[in-house]
Amino acid sequence: MIEFHLDPHSGVATYLQIVQQVKEALRLGTIDVGDQLPTVREVVADLAINPNTVAKAYRDLERDGLVVARQGRGTFVASTLAPASLRHHDALRAELERWLAAADSAGLDEESIRALISATLRETRARRVA
Amino acid sequence: MTPSPLDARGLGKRFRRDWGLRDCTLTIPQGAIVGLAGPNAAGKSTLLALATGLLAPTEGSIEVLGKDPLREPSVLAEVGYVAQGAPLYRSFSVAETIEFARRTNARWNDEIVSHFLTRIASETKVGSLSAGDRARLALALALGKRPQLVLLDEPFAGLDPLAGREFLQLLMDGVAETSATVVIASHVIADIERVCDHIVLLTEGGIRLEGNVEDLLESHRILMGPRRPLGSIRGVHTVVRERHSGRQLTLLVLAAGPIVDPSWTVDRVGLEELLLAYMAPERLPTPEPPERLPLRWHG
Amino acid sequence: MAWVTWRQHRAQVVAVFGLLALVAAAAFATHLPIRAAYHRNTLSECLPPTARSGCDIIVRHFENQFDSWVAIVRGLAVLPALVGLFVGAPLLARELEHGTHRFAWTQGVTRRRWLLSKTALLAAVTLVAAALLSAVVTWWRGPFDTLEGRMAPNGFDIEGVVVPAYALFALAVGVLAGLLFRRTVAAMTATLVVFASTRLIVLNFLRPHFMSPLHRSVVGTDSARPTADWLLSDTLVDAGGRQITAGREDLAVLHAQQAGIDPHNYLVSLGWKRVISYQPAGRFWTFQLIEAGIFAALAVAVVLAAIWLVRRTPT
Repeated sequence: MIEFHLDPHSGVATYLQIVQQVKEALRLGTIDVGDQLPTVREVVADLAINPNTVAKAYRDLERDGLVVARQGRGTFVASTLAPASLRHHDALRAELERWLAAADSAGLDEESIRALISATLRETRARRVA
Repeated sequence: MTPSPLDARGLGKRFRRDWGLRDCTLTIPQGAIVGLAGPNAAGKSTLLALATGLLAPTEGSIEVLGKDPLREPSVLAEVGYVAQGAPLYRSFSVAETIEFARRTNARWNDEIVSHFLTRIASETKVGSLSAGDRARLALALALGKRPQLVLLDEPFAGLDPLAGREFLQLLMDGVAETSATVVIASHVIADIERVCDHIVLLTEGGIRLEGNVEDLLESHRILMGPRRPLGSIRGVHTVVRERHSGRQLTLLVLAAGPIVDPSWTVDRVGLEELLLAYMAPERLPTPEPPERLPLRWHG
Repeated sequence: MAWVTWRQHRAQVVAVFGLLALVAAAAFATHLPIRAAYHRNTLSECLPPTARSGCDIIVRHFENQFDSWVAIVRGLAVLPALVGLFVGAPLLARELEHGTHRFAWTQGVTRRRWLLSKTALLAAVTLVAAALLSAVVTWWRGPFDTLEGRMAPNGFDIEGVVVPAYALFALAVGVLAGLLFRRTVAAMTATLVVFASTRLIVLNFLRPHFMSPLHRSVVGTDSARPTADWLLSDTLVDAGGRQITAGREDLAVLHAQQAGIDPHNYLVSLGWKRVISYQPAGRFWTFQLIEAGIFAALAVAVVLAAIWLVRRTPT
């Protein structure tokens, strides 16, 4: 069963974080078709967030066809991500490994790498929204 | 049409000479989790006390679930209220307190309360509970009557961060189960930022800002740029707050549209920062129409 | 609300009945010597209005023997007030003082129903306890009632149906005081003041006139005959019926002494006599019902006022 975590200061909306974590779990194979997602109650009792947020995330996932809500029984994984995205995965991963090697030889430690990635991610997102 | 959970019209309350609340008009959307924010003595407790009939309005009216709490106090069976300090009978044991709530409410569900009891012995005297446990007990009782509306007055006061988190967990669990509308009054925004989808900001007895959190965050922006005299900025409706330090000028603005001005860096604003800006003690003039930007004082 | 009322007031209820038990125990313990003394001196032959010679001495001796006990029992008249102070006043005052009304008054029971239920239940308990107290005291005072009657306040105030009525009135006043003053000590003080003043006003100004007093003329030196009636006044009047001032009386006595005549005979020869106004013992139950009715009606009015006000009081 997937367990969510929330980063309230990441600048990313809560419901989006949930959507992303579900998609990530699908990608990594942590959850598979037929697995049940935590109920809204379970999620909010754990994370202390608004139930509407979780409901919205699950609705988004359902709209994308990734999960399906069964009345009275819960929300279940309906399909994995399209293989196409997994293909991009490999290419991007290779590029990332090259970049990491470059950052490493430039003298960046793990902390600096993470900070650089978070800051850049935040700025690009902000610029996209503004 | 179902009545709004809380509906105030021109509501005002005077204590001797001072108005604790004045000219308050507010409608809370059903199913929302509303943060009632504002500094101390802004009128938050007064508003909640008026909503539960503990105070009588000096002017205007208030209705909860379509009923006046003073004229039709039976509506309070549908309202879960935890007053500031979570008042309970200190000499009662936990079990007796639950029995009290069970016997004074026609509709009662033991589930939330028994869940709460897993860590506390039911014979413990309420007076010897920690602040966090007492707050959670009061909340469990408020939720146990299956209310349609939950009103919490400064529930985090005196709670350490863990207790505060546990309180929120219990609250959100209860809300997920009952789809209740919630109003949480707190002068610490960080405590409620996590869960609120609607905000009402009170300052000095009046509503300063109100709306859906997403909409508010979407319509406000932080602009940073070199210090210069302000003309009108395309896309900016009002400047809410202006700050300068050295050569940098920082504005918090209400946007009228997309802001595409290369001389400004545009950034989103967090909820706490937004509310603090509106709470600033200086009186802010009414917004000008979008074309002209009025001169502002320094924040 | 029965469970709630019991849980919140059980200490008070237990105290009330505990005190009652104490009084009853003391009454049982002390009645034996009293009855024994009564029969030993055959005081049954000294009942008013018949009085054989020497009775007044025996009666006085009997009364002196037990006068401290009688005084203590007379002091039990304060017990109804205690109900008001320790059961009535804290009912609302404690809730408001501690802020627990913010919890109690936001549940499914409305404020008015909460107050009405609690007051009604406590009133029932008070009624039972006060009735038992009255019964015990009436029983204990048997010998004294037969000798001196119970029409006077000594007996009237602590026997019969007035005791429950006083207690209910005190309870009601306490409840309203708690609502108006919101502080337990202030409410208790106010309750005591109001209860005591009302009792005194009724006793001194109303009770003597529940029915028109009767009058009796006494000529000569009749010593105070034992009477079961309630003596209201004893005045000297002249032949024309006018009250004689102390100065005029002194003058007459002086005149008699100067003339060498016995002052008493002289006064009689002037046609002067004592006029006694009183309420006859036979009116005991009538007066009891009137006074109980007054206090019961006041109690109801005060409770209704509290129930009406509780919704309007800003907290």
